[in-house]
Amino acid sequence: MTDQEREGATPAVLPEDDRRAADTGEAAAGADEAASANPEGEQAGGYAGLAGLARRYRPTIIAYGLVLVLFAIGTIHTPGFAGWTNIRTLLVFGSFIGIIGFGQTLCILTGGIDLSVPWTLTGAAVLSSVLLKGSDANFVPVCLLVAGLAIGIGLINGIGVAYVGVPPIIMTLGMNGALQGLLLVYTNGGISSSPPQGLVNAVTDQVLGIPVILLSWIVVAVIAIVLLSATTFGRRLYAVGTNASAAKLAGVRVQRVLLVPYIVSALGASLAGLLLMGFTGQAYLTMGDPYLFTGAVAVAVGGTSILGGKGHYVGTIAGALILTLVSALLPLFWTSAAGVQIADGAILLGAVYAAGRRARGNGTGWLRHSLASFVAGNKA
Amino acid sequence: MYSRLSVPSLSTVMPYIYVAVLAIAILAVEPALIDGPDAIDVRFSAVFPLAIVAFAQTLNLFTRGIDLSIGGTISVTTSILAVSGSVKGADAYLELLGMIGLGIFIGAVNGLVIAYSGLQPFLVTLATWTIWDGIALAVLPIEGGSVPGPATSLILGPIAGVPKSVLCTGALFVLWAWLRHSRFVRDLRAMGSDAERARLIGVRMFTRTVQCYAFSGACAAIAGIWIAVQEASGSPTAGDEYILTSIAAVVIGGASIFGGTGSAAASMVGAVAYLMIPDLIAATNISSFWSVFLQGFLLIVAVTLSALAIRVRDRKLA
Repeated sequence: MTDQEREGATPAVLPEDDRRAADTGEAAAGADEAASANPEGEQAGGYAGLAGLARRYRPTIIAYGLVLVLFAIGTIHTPGFAGWTNIRTLLVFGSFIGIIGFGQTLCILTGGIDLSVPWTLTGAAVLSSVLLKGSDANFVPVCLLVAGLAIGIGLINGIGVAYVGVPPIIMTLGMNGALQGLLLVYTNGGISSSPPQGLVNAVTDQVLGIPVILLSWIVVAVIAIVLLSATTFGRRLYAVGTNASAAKLAGVRVQRVLLVPYIVSALGASLAGLLLMGFTGQAYLTMGDPYLFTGAVAVAVGGTSILGGKGHYVGTIAGALILTLVSALLPLFWTSAAGVQIADGAILLGAVYAAGRRARGNGTGWLRHSLASFVAGNKA
Repeated sequence: MYSRLSVPSLSTVMPYIYVAVLAIAILAVEPALIDGPDAIDVRFSAVFPLAIVAFAQTLNLFTRGIDLSIGGTISVTTSILAVSGSVKGADAYLELLGMIGLGIFIGAVNGLVIAYSGLQPFLVTLATWTIWDGIALAVLPIEGGSVPGPATSLILGPIAGVPKSVLCTGALFVLWAWLRHSRFVRDLRAMGSDAERARLIGVRMFTRTVQCYAFSGACAAIAGIWIAVQEASGSPTAGDEYILTSIAAVVIGGASIFGGTGSAAASMVGAVAYLMIPDLIAATNISSFWSVFLQGFLLIVAVTLSALAIRVRDRKLA
């Protein structure tokens, strides 16, 4: 092939609408593959019988398998690991990731991501801590204010993504920076007031032996599963995530659907912020830092495709448990912080690789799948 | 056919406007901040590492990829340099070459994993960033150390009265002027615009992916050396702040994260604009925390303008 031909055909020099057309074509070609993991496609074409079910839920089954394996390793290494006290502690730590993971799952199912979680979370905690001034008197109005602000943050993110067409990763990253700046100005770089004792007591309390934080996660999980599996909105979300153009032609108001994930994510981050403040007994400006990528990683490790359209919150639950178990197990094997971090990265790579492979299916069409995924891999 | 590539789009012109506006604002409020050769050296010493990382990130974005592991690479190189303060003479130069080699190795591993597995570059480099930050922590558990003398004298100071920071930043623009029409960059753009067509016209996708990330690793290693020398010490988390700022600089520079478009020169000017915000805030005597807000705000403004520009153009074409 001569130089001239290559340059002539380089897509970079094609008009934008041509490239769009090519993209749509590609999306349509990938649609049958995408549909196989999505409930709607399932009912239309579908796999039959038990083997079909196993194949359909393969990513989720393997994710939960990994949870069991990690748990077994812990139990063998430390006899007390399987005790209720330890399990309860693990579940409480997993709750923060799980609650954040709800909004993040919705964002990722539509092909987006929410990187404004850290400072939304910190903002909710810091703002309520400062406004409550250590007393429970104004708890309900402050909560409503925090929820209102969260909806505002989510709306701005969502409008930027859905109506203006800003890439989600950049929109939410900018939002994160703007929130960080506003909070630093608001607090002048430090917080003196501590959260009210009533809130701390309520959060660290137990109902029927189940910690309130875990109970919150259970409620969030039930809402998430019902929303994704049993509502029209859930179906629309999958439709938009699989192929937005097709969804639009089918009558889905795509832009309106795209608003919801970011609002849910901001609300979830705020809830996690309030719970984390109650759990640790204080609000501090770095409390959101660990949650920049954690939610998204839990979603990806749980088998949801980061390209959108494929996956479920059920997988994210397993993802949150895997991340919690890994961070609980690593210090048992490596005493140095460096060793823990290196192993953490290696396990993350392995888990993401396993999630990516199992999402691609098996056996037939291996070459087509790996080609398709290679192409898809370049679209991050 | 070339005209579309050589005529700059509105998005890649915007960073120059941001810089001009910020410069006028700073000059109006507090001219002393930009005056004087020392002030220029200080500014460019801060700009260079972000500029070179933004350069590399632009190429990654061309392919619809992203490299979060530059943070780990910077951390590891500064940490290694900080524990080798006693290295003297030619060994120090060898060590610097070794650091760049390490960067290439880190990047090539990223590229190999991404090209072989087909996983999202975002997730792969997130994992390798964690790993290399961990290795940095093993090399240098706490901030501190000292940097080899020859490395310091190589990077600091002026040549014929011009600060080396200015020369090095200028060299990056020259490098881009040469690279922008190269087969390498055109292949990367093609991969990001339409991977399938790029494959059909014979772009060696696998090789190009590995090369792209290896280049990114080398740039991050150079940034790491630069930062270690400027700080005269190392930190196992030195690179973390460069991950998001490099992406911000590239986006302010008008490159699309959907691949194919953008200019490394515009990204580097975006880096300059991003770093001018703290100066402007310092000049106005208001709380320095406002600069964090303004940096995030500029990012949103820049990306909104790019998105709107694309919409307007699409409407014209339609």
